[in-house]
Amino acid sequence: MLKKECIAMLLAGGQGSRLGCLTRNIAKPAVSFGGKYRIIDFSLSNCTNSNIDTVGVLTQYKPFLLNSYIGMGSAWDLDNTFGGVHILPPYVGETQGSWYKGTANAIYQNMDFIHHYNPDYVLIISGDHIYKMDYSAMLKFHKEKESEVTISTVEVAWEEAPRLGIMTVDENSRILKFTEKPSEPESKLASMGVYIFDWSVLKDALLEDEGDLESDNDFGKNVIPRLLRQGTKLFAFKFQGYWRDVGTIESYYDANMELLNGANSLDIFDPEFRIFSNEGILSPQFVGSKARIENSLVSNGCTILGEVSNSILAPGVYVGEGAKVKDSIILHHTKIHENCFVQRAIVGENAEIMSQSCIGVQAKGHLEQAGITVVQDHQVIPQGSVIKEGRNVYRTR
Amino acid sequence: MHSVIGLIFGNTRSDILQGLAQDRPIAAVPFGGRYRLLDFALSSMVNSGIRTVGLVTPHHYRPVLDHLGAGKDFSLDRKAGGLFILPGAIHGLIGDKSKFRIKDICLNIEFLQKDFSENVVISYCNQVYNINYRDALEFHNQKQADITLIYKETDDPLDMSGRVILYIGKDQHVHKLQEKYEDDPTEQAQPYFVDMLIIRRTLLLDIIQGYKCIENIDLLDALRDNLTTLKVYGYNFTAYIGRIDSIKDYFDRNMDLFKPEIRKELFLSRDRIHTKIRDNPPTKYGSKAKVSNSLLASGCCIDGEVENSILSRGVVIKPGCMIKNSIIMQKCIIGKNAVLENVILDKFVEVNEGNVLKGSENNPLVLYKKTVV
Repeated sequence: MLKKECIAMLLAGGQGSRLGCLTRNIAKPAVSFGGKYRIIDFSLSNCTNSNIDTVGVLTQYKPFLLNSYIGMGSAWDLDNTFGGVHILPPYVGETQGSWYKGTANAIYQNMDFIHHYNPDYVLIISGDHIYKMDYSAMLKFHKEKESEVTISTVEVAWEEAPRLGIMTVDENSRILKFTEKPSEPESKLASMGVYIFDWSVLKDALLEDEGDLESDNDFGKNVIPRLLRQGTKLFAFKFQGYWRDVGTIESYYDANMELLNGANSLDIFDPEFRIFSNEGILSPQFVGSKARIENSLVSNGCTILGEVSNSILAPGVYVGEGAKVKDSIILHHTKIHENCFVQRAIVGENAEIMSQSCIGVQAKGHLEQAGITVVQDHQVIPQGSVIKEGRNVYRTR
Repeated sequence: MHSVIGLIFGNTRSDILQGLAQDRPIAAVPFGGRYRLLDFALSSMVNSGIRTVGLVTPHHYRPVLDHLGAGKDFSLDRKAGGLFILPGAIHGLIGDKSKFRIKDICLNIEFLQKDFSENVVISYCNQVYNINYRDALEFHNQKQADITLIYKETDDPLDMSGRVILYIGKDQHVHKLQEKYEDDPTEQAQPYFVDMLIIRRTLLLDIIQGYKCIENIDLLDALRDNLTTLKVYGYNFTAYIGRIDSIKDYFDRNMDLFKPEIRKELFLSRDRIHTKIRDNPPTKYGSKAKVSNSLLASGCCIDGEVENSILSRGVVIKPGCMIKNSIIMQKCIIGKNAVLENVILDKFVEVNEGNVLKGSENNPLVLYKKTVV
């Protein structure tokens, strides 16, 4: 029987509610990032670059755009005769089946899929982090340590630690303690949400977790702590490099801006570790004779007639004459018309900002989300509008 | 449109493009930042619903295959039909003006024999356009024509030099084909053949059968021989068709892309021009970048001044550069403070720090692939 050494299960069902109006209509992994990419591109490209050719993508929340974007995975060279990308939505059977209740439950419900490929190892990743990682190095570590479960970790700043899963390890990298979102973290070693399980260990753990009615069916909260208690061999793989969780508007904005300014940020220009994406058919970008662009990333199909600085423009964006776009992230096919002023804003896909409008005008007092203004996708901002900084503009029609 | 297949002649090399077509056929000459010339011919066929296309290539077809692969980016990786690579005959002279050589089709006759379709759309590939053949095909079927020649009308003698002039009677019937010579200026608009035609497949097979013994005969000559016995019609196209027949043409057609109406017709209409997708990152503009009236592909790093220029993918412009009226192809690196004006750089050219390269508008300076200056 054909079998695989290692397959990946990519958790892409989360809503990402902290991203506010950016994820009103699309799942978080499908949110645009860094101009032409979508967040899931990084995880899928990592799989390709790590020679993992079988990926199950677990979707649940507003999956249409995500599903159509992934297609059969050919954009990431993941269209194979045995293997490839499989979209795994929740389903019902005669007696079983329901919405995915948690990360562990999502995998539990798709155990048949894993059985089909009968792998030795299962890599569990999530579709909402920005990083470049060769999973094969982690798999090598997993085998060398004769580990049963390996968790990839990264050192974070102390102030970030309470948001993440934090672990304590011994000198041999064996995990002694794992706390999900600790109020008083003991170390700076955070879980990246990347796990390698021996398939047999994962199978037993999932069955046991499903039997536990108290459980929230979550890897970080329930499965990993239970395995630790039972004395399973868990090891921490130390990842060196850039890793960002883009779970909030602020962290999403900062991670984007780091592409422009950060010296130790993600190298998207590296020809040996390429980030693939599903591109549309677009023309080269046109820069008009009165345009001025500095310190920015501009994608294919853009037409720039105005001024753009410190900004990231996704494919097909239009910036009209006299318009000024500053410190902003403009997503796919959005139009910013003549003489608009857009500052420190994230403008959603296919939005349209009519002429003479000001987005992100200075406001007094306490600012929500660090003063970043967010406009929802497909929203049309009428001519001459003034929107104060830090506001969320939800779609009205 | 399953009753139609396409046939593109992409096998001519030429000395008229000063080295741009030296190691590649004209079909594979890069154009407009992201494209190669054959993209326009191929995309127009695909966008017209043609799902089977044969591409005649020269015997050295690495650049063409590198670009097309299995035709995936053109939606031509099909079980039924798809893209067929048809290696043409080895022709002796590089400067041969002939376009549709029967010998080339004859070598690949199975492509035509194995198909079941009624008609074949044939085109050459030294032109830039975004057209849809649907209306022309409907006209062809309605007239029950043997052959429909696509033409445009112009009074510009420049457009017409070297073209074939059609003499069209009532009912769009073509009764004479005449080569246009340069010493024959005319004031009035004349219809000229734009190197695209629709022909019945079985008729094409008959013509090949009848003429294959004649060395190097062009399909158009065979047609001319039989003009009186065949039902040959002309169909008028009004679309933009930019021909590239000299290095000046190449330069000017690229510069035409700065005209909004032409850019709109080529790139922003409902039918899109497909090309090989390379998944480059977005283009990065540094804090010293100053770009105006230019077209840029993805993956460039711009830190200098760029004006009226076209930059292909992955071009690096270092600080202090002044690039004006130039076409810079893939992966060129322009060192600090270099000055370029009216220059065409083929792929992978490196210009070292401080160098000044200037051509003239009518005679742009061309640097070959991988040159280091």
